[in-house]
Amino acid sequence: MTATLHRPRDLGAALDLLADAGDPMVYGGGTAVQILLKQGVLFASDLVDIAGVPGLADLAATPGGLRAGTMVTLRRMETDPLVQDRAPLLAQVYGRVANPRVRNTASVGGNIAHGDYRLDPPTALLVLDARIELSSSAGPRHVPIREFFTGFQETAVRRGEMVTAIDVPTQPLGGAAFTKLSSLAANDWPAASAAVLVTASATGGREVRIGLGALAPTPVYVAVPVPADASADDAVDAALAAAEPLIDPLPDVRGGVAHKRRLGRVAVADATRAAWADTPRDTPREEVPDDRRLTLRRLRRRH
Amino acid sequence: MTPIDLTVNGERRTVPVGDDDLLLDVLRELGHTSVREGCGVGACGACTVLADGHSVSSCLARAVRYDGVAITTADGLPTDDDVVEEFVAARAMQCGYCIPGFVLMGHELLAENPDATAAEIDAHLEGNICRCGTYLEIRTALQNVVARRRHDDMARRRHDDMAKESA
Ligand SMILES: Cc1cc2nc3c(=O)[nH]c(=O)nc-3n(C[C@H](O)[C@H](O)[C@H](O)COP(=O)(O)OP(=O)(O)OC[C@H]3O[C@@H](n4cnc5c(N)ncnc54)[C@H](O)[C@@H]3O)c2cc1C
Ligand code: FES
Ligand code: FES
Repeated sequence: MTATLHRPRDLGAALDLLADAGDPMVYGGGTAVQILLKQGVLFASDLVDIAGVPGLADLAATPGGLRAGTMVTLRRMETDPLVQDRAPLLAQVYGRVANPRVRNTASVGGNIAHGDYRLDPPTALLVLDARIELSSSAGPRHVPIREFFTGFQETAVRRGEMVTAIDVPTQPLGGAAFTKLSSLAANDWPAASAAVLVTASATGGREVRIGLGALAPTPVYVAVPVPADASADDAVDAALAAAEPLIDPLPDVRGGVAHKRRLGRVAVADATRAAWADTPRDTPREEVPDDRRLTLRRLRRRH
Repeated sequence: MTPIDLTVNGERRTVPVGDDDLLLDVLRELGHTSVREGCGVGACGACTVLADGHSVSSCLARAVRYDGVAITTADGLPTDDDVVEEFVAARAMQCGYCIPGFVLMGHELLAENPDATAAEIDAHLEGNICRCGTYLEIRTALQNVVARRRHDDMARRRHDDMAKESA
């Protein structure tokens, strides 16, 4: 059975189709949908292609960060100066997905809605505390990314809803790093990945935020407080102690449980060590306006 | 069938396509057989085309999406294309099945980053597979294009300066 393709020209029409069709599915970049079709495991009655809906591919600065419409491509997130300035960790992680052709086609909304536990971008979105805008014919609602991945291949997107945008707060001052370990080709899906951000905590110490990919049935997040004067080894130990209870790998062609658990430890340790080393002693916590923050970050990069 | 406006290698035409038709099949049926199917799932690059200058795996692309878009396929490149010439000079192919994809990925990279280093070349091509394993020659070919364009650029500038002086 082939699904009927619809190409609505405005958001209202797209949302009406999602509300009324029998078993509809949003068609974003199509990189995942096309593969499901080829594998014969796509059972939708209707595909709603949202490429023609105006505004969904907008990428803009907001007072506290940036906002990416669902159809912004992964490659644009990787290369756009706005993302590179306000959320460099995020730009870096988008640049590690698949290959340039897939990144030129795949969309930020389709990427998270795909809900795969091995996806790279969620690791950075989790540590940055992004917020997902979901829209339906009843209007928009917002879900923190940390509540978005609800189960194996399940997300907070309800029937009749679609992702319309992702809001990302400006990356807090501090160090950040991403480690992706693959067991097949270098650009293959990861066997383990970790994004780590070290920032000043409310209590004067530091907070180590950790987003894990491919290591549990969903992307997962944990944060741990670490004293600012701790050694790098102590920070790594604290990060591993926090992350280990969450590591619950699924065995597949990329490795068994023990192998992925081992790679998970390495990913967390490597990313934490790199992020910790990149965090200046006097990282301030106070809210810095975006324009000054950029200057600070640039100054720091020169060291 | 929906008629779409497709410009392939500079030639504009209206092509009727079905909703499910892949850009890969549409282009091959139009005679652009340098666009090849390998993996069919976005992972090998044999089906690469440039859409408004951006690389796309045509095996995952529905043709209806490309209405009004300018497509470049490797068979549409001029015979004296510098990337193609350097691939030939570096003997960067055995069977040649993968080469159109590598050539177009090289064009995309060098348009964005004319000074691409060996590491940047490797990163951009990491999603292209050559079963004959000519990766080292392919990298050399692209490094030679970087050097050749830099050299041509300098020569052109020198020529312009001399023309100015004698004017
Ligand atoms: C060769 C290859 C290698 C890959 N390697 C990696 C990798 O290393 N790391 C990684 O993270 N990913 C990897 N991927 C996966 C890739 O990131 C996803 O295929 C892509 O991000 C999906 O985005 P899309 O816009 O193409 O989604 P689509 O294919 O359009 O949709 C995917 C799913 O999301 C739904 N959807 C789409 N848009 C919306 C919306 N706005 N609202 C609600 N639901 C929506 C669709 O209905 C479908 O269920 C790889 C993919 C390929 C083909
Ligand atoms: S055939 Fe399209 S990427 Fe392999
Ligand atoms: S030359 Fe044969 S596949 Fe690359």
